[in-house]
Amino acid sequence: MGETGYYLGIDVGSVSTNLVIIDEEDKVLEKLYIRTSGQPINALRNGMKTLTNRLNTNNIHIKGVGTTGSGRQLASVILGADIVKNEITTHAVAAQKMVPGVKTILEIGGQDSKIIVLRNGVIYDFAMNTVCAAGTGSFLDRQASRLEIPIEEFGGYALRSTSPVRIAGRCAVFAESDMIHKQQTGHSTEDIINGLCEALVRNYLNNLAKSKEILEPIVFQGGVAANVGIVAAFERALGKKIVIPKYHDVMGAFGAALIAKEEMTRKNTKSNFYGFGTTENEYKAKSVECQDCSNMCEVIEISANSEVIARWGDRCGKWSELDGSSEQVG
Amino acid sequence: MAKKVGIPRGLFYYQYYPLWKTFFEELGAEIVVSDFTNKQILDSGVKSCVDEACLPVKLFYGHVLNLKDKVDYLFIPRFTSISKGEYICPKFGGLPDMIRHSLKELPEIIDTEVNLRKSKKNAFKAAVDVGNYFSSDRHVIKSAYQKALNSYREFRSNVRKGVLPGDILSKRRGVLNKSSDETVNIAIIGHVYNLYDNYMNMDMIYKLRSMGVNITTIEMLDGKVIDEKNQMLPKKMFWNFGRKAVGGAFHIMEREDIDGIIYLMSFGCGVDSFVCDLIERKVRNTKDIPFTVLTIDEHSGEAGMNTRLEAFIDMIRWRNRNEADVPAYG
Repeated sequence: MGETGYYLGIDVGSVSTNLVIIDEEDKVLEKLYIRTSGQPINALRNGMKTLTNRLNTNNIHIKGVGTTGSGRQLASVILGADIVKNEITTHAVAAQKMVPGVKTILEIGGQDSKIIVLRNGVIYDFAMNTVCAAGTGSFLDRQASRLEIPIEEFGGYALRSTSPVRIAGRCAVFAESDMIHKQQTGHSTEDIINGLCEALVRNYLNNLAKSKEILEPIVFQGGVAANVGIVAAFERALGKKIVIPKYHDVMGAFGAALIAKEEMTRKNTKSNFYGFGTTENEYKAKSVECQDCSNMCEVIEISANSEVIARWGDRCGKWSELDGSSEQVG
Repeated sequence: MAKKVGIPRGLFYYQYYPLWKTFFEELGAEIVVSDFTNKQILDSGVKSCVDEACLPVKLFYGHVLNLKDKVDYLFIPRFTSISKGEYICPKFGGLPDMIRHSLKELPEIIDTEVNLRKSKKNAFKAAVDVGNYFSSDRHVIKSAYQKALNSYREFRSNVRKGVLPGDILSKRRGVLNKSSDETVNIAIIGHVYNLYDNYMNMDMIYKLRSMGVNITTIEMLDGKVIDEKNQMLPKKMFWNFGRKAVGGAFHIMEREDIDGIIYLMSFGCGVDSFVCDLIERKVRNTKDIPFTVLTIDEHSGEAGMNTRLEAFIDMIRWRNRNEADVPAYG
């Protein structure tokens, strides 16, 4: 021991890619929130570059790396992760660290929304949105850009609403056409946005939170927690106080770092981390439909400096088992 | 030359194949089963079926197309009821008509009605009708039927001893990974054609086993137990699947050796929609056992399924460990 160690947590989500570095005391040294913009590898590269510029990374000894989010496998092969965890577990771990004794976690991200119920410090129950992504961050993003309002100001509009307008919340397509109808009949933008916030909250509570007991303390995290309009709508609907943790937008990454720290301390092994410079490599991802059988799997191949580092997407395992000698896909 | 009978690998194939196989073979027919579900079968099914149908029915279309040019007959019985006083989904009753009117150039369809709502004896009547396609000798048919019943009983008895029907009917099974943490026992409730079609449920059984999960399904339970537990309902459940699912779930939630329950649901399934809700309410109100619902449809992106499965198993391990007073997460 002796040397101070740090732990890196990365959450590659549909809308944002987040990076968090914590120290041995679980204090956040640095956090980044980057738009994934449909290109997770680029987002990771930008993230690592920014970290290198902001910190003197030569003095930062990374003792463990954890990845989470829907791009957790991808991030893991590019950076060399020690643990790869689903986002339910990482969000719960992070929320408990920030708000000890938390009983309910509301989380709304880009494509997913979740509710996590904790009792006695343990995940007791959870639910995620089903097949439809209505009412998540990417839908709010889309509405904000349709109305030409920066997403950061979107929630503020809702707070200035003076008269309630009801918007359909069950389906994103219906919600949008409802919003357009209301706008054409002359309702104010503020009232419509507030109506949308209420519709999303109503849908969330009816769908995800169905049959869940929402007890305080309640923590709201994920990118959408930055939207004051949604927060206010939640508080109105629940009649309870909602806590927005300090690092609400990067809680998944924070949790991944915490779990990496716990795991590495327990195992006491060296991290797999490839180093901050690793994203300087030339990464390529290609997708090929394998024609070897009628499953026609969509195989993804990731290569660094034209050397294949990972493949996945095949059902039979012939591509994902890298033995060095395997033929090239496609 | 023996007549070729095509059996689409979908819907009740997963329940009755051992019976059908012996019956046709005893009558001197050759059996051709469609290929294991693959992308081509799924795509052609989705393309040719009405949009409102559920995915299992659409897949069945794909299996019919996969078979139609290879056989003399297609075996698509008209199932109205498979047990006394009970109904099944009406799509089973309309299946031969749906197929006949939307697909072209089909071989002759054996669409004998199977209706056991009034009496179990009607099963033999249906067998004679089907048998007449291949033999005019009633004794031959009767003997084939007896042997078929024996095959079916043997299949059922193996399943009740704990062999998953999917392990008997399919090639990809996966083995229980005993190295990963402690074994977790999960009960999965769902239609046989969702549970045992590995393509359809994105290899759920295989994935769970590799996480060290031992699986129990309602097919493994004793019919008497199921009937007994149905007494807990205020009125008779007249859906065959509903009775099994409800009775099975009520039995499972009382068992000490089951760590959690997963309900695998078809998007848009009418029976699932209320049976699942009925079970969920009862489970949550009576027992402190982890319960989750997974909805499957046409998705081929596996991230959503993987995250939910991993998080669910993580939660159970975390809870179990917590009860044993070992503080750790993940």
